[in-house]
Amino acid sequence: MVKVFMIMRNKNEIIDKVKECLIKAASTFSDDKKEVYRQAIERETVKTAKWVLETTLKNAEVSELNRSPLCDDSGIPHLFLEIGPNQNVDGELLSCIREGVIAGLRELPGRPMAIKGDDKQRIDQSGGLDLDPGALMAAPILLKSTDEDILRLHILMHGGGPEIRGKTFRIFHKHKVSVVTDEIIDWAVEASGKLGCSPVTVAIGIGRSHFEATSLMLEAMVFGNHDIQNDVEKEITDRLNKSNIGPLGLGGNTTALGTFIKVGPQRASGVRIVSMRPCCSIEPRKASVELI
Amino acid sequence: MLDIKTPISDTTIAKLAVGDMITISGYIYTGRDAVLPKIVSLIEAGKLKEYGIDLEGAVIFHTAVSPAGVGPTSSNKYEIESSIPALSVAGVKLHLGKGELSKETIDALAKDGSVFAVIPPVTALLNSMTLSSKVLAFPELGMEAFHLLEVKGYPAIIAIAHGKSIYDYEK
Repeated sequence: MVKVFMIMRNKNEIIDKVKECLIKAASTFSDDKKEVYRQAIERETVKTAKWVLETTLKNAEVSELNRSPLCDDSGIPHLFLEIGPNQNVDGELLSCIREGVIAGLRELPGRPMAIKGDDKQRIDQSGGLDLDPGALMAAPILLKSTDEDILRLHILMHGGGPEIRGKTFRIFHKHKVSVVTDEIIDWAVEASGKLGCSPVTVAIGIGRSHFEATSLMLEAMVFGNHDIQNDVEKEITDRLNKSNIGPLGLGGNTTALGTFIKVGPQRASGVRIVSMRPCCSIEPRKASVELI
Repeated sequence: MLDIKTPISDTTIAKLAVGDMITISGYIYTGRDAVLPKIVSLIEAGKLKEYGIDLEGAVIFHTAVSPAGVGPTSSNKYEIESSIPALSVAGVKLHLGKGELSKETIDALAKDGSVFAVIPPVTALLNSMTLSSKVLAFPELGMEAFHLLEVKGYPAIIAIAHGKSIYDYEK
């Protein structure tokens, strides 16, 4: 006997929740981000650096009020779905999420930056741009099971600058954590100096493969909190702040606002694969919503 | 805070120093990776006037212009930074963007009497200071087309001027 499960969903409600989540991610600083900015403004002693921090926080207040993009590079949507033990994910749900993303990009509005054309045209950008903000496809969705009985979607909007300066590479750990953190700090200092849009929040994933490390880096961004920093995260942030790169790279005490690390399962080997993303001054741009 | 109005004179440039906080008002151009090399080609072909472009005393803001607004892209991207010397020779006095530039570009800016300023990525604030926008050249590039903006009070910091760079601090 074949059992048929019918899942009754209010599709319009899910689409609307995803749309609102995307708009919030692109236009709003999280509470911990606002607070870490206030603390940095209080501490900063360099006049131009303090002005940049104040202006960036003021910009976030205006964008939240207007529900408008924090930055003109409104970002590529990256999706992370937490699935509880009694929840179901099927093609219909994924279709609703896709529709919600399109609706959010159009209402925000996101920057119309989908490249048209075949493979070669999309590489050399010779096929032109699609003028529809909703044509921007989200990156592949990440799924993660959770003990909580929820279906929670996290949306992150990734700007282009951190992608230029981010890095996924191997580190030979030599059986010392400090060897790995020293190399990550070298990467982060170089990236922060060239990024232009500091202060950064450094997102790091450490895994067994490039795919896994990058997935863990995304997870670090999803669950990271500036108010909750472990010893390794604090060390990386503190050492970055001694670089004197400062906001916008103009010098100052505030090069990094925090560090988010997620360490996954590791391989019996002398190598660790590390993915490091120097999230810019307005990132991580993220928001979460419970879909059911 | 010094308010600079476009077009910018040599006298104004001479007074600017690294670290000065300024505001920019008037008409400014925008361009980034895709269009700036094309503008350099127009300069070389003597065709700027056909598009109604006058770079004498001009500001070029390294940004896209889209419904999402405006905001600086990295000026040290190859196609942007490599265009700066030719644009300066053609009359651009202030290049507006973000990020550290090379020693070669710092020297070229000094030689050609131009400066580089950085502007924070504060799109929501800049939208309220942007009074008008129109495409002047290469409309097929969409948000990356060469635009003319009318702006009031864009905030910026002089980062490179007269051979000196704000990035030359002890790292």
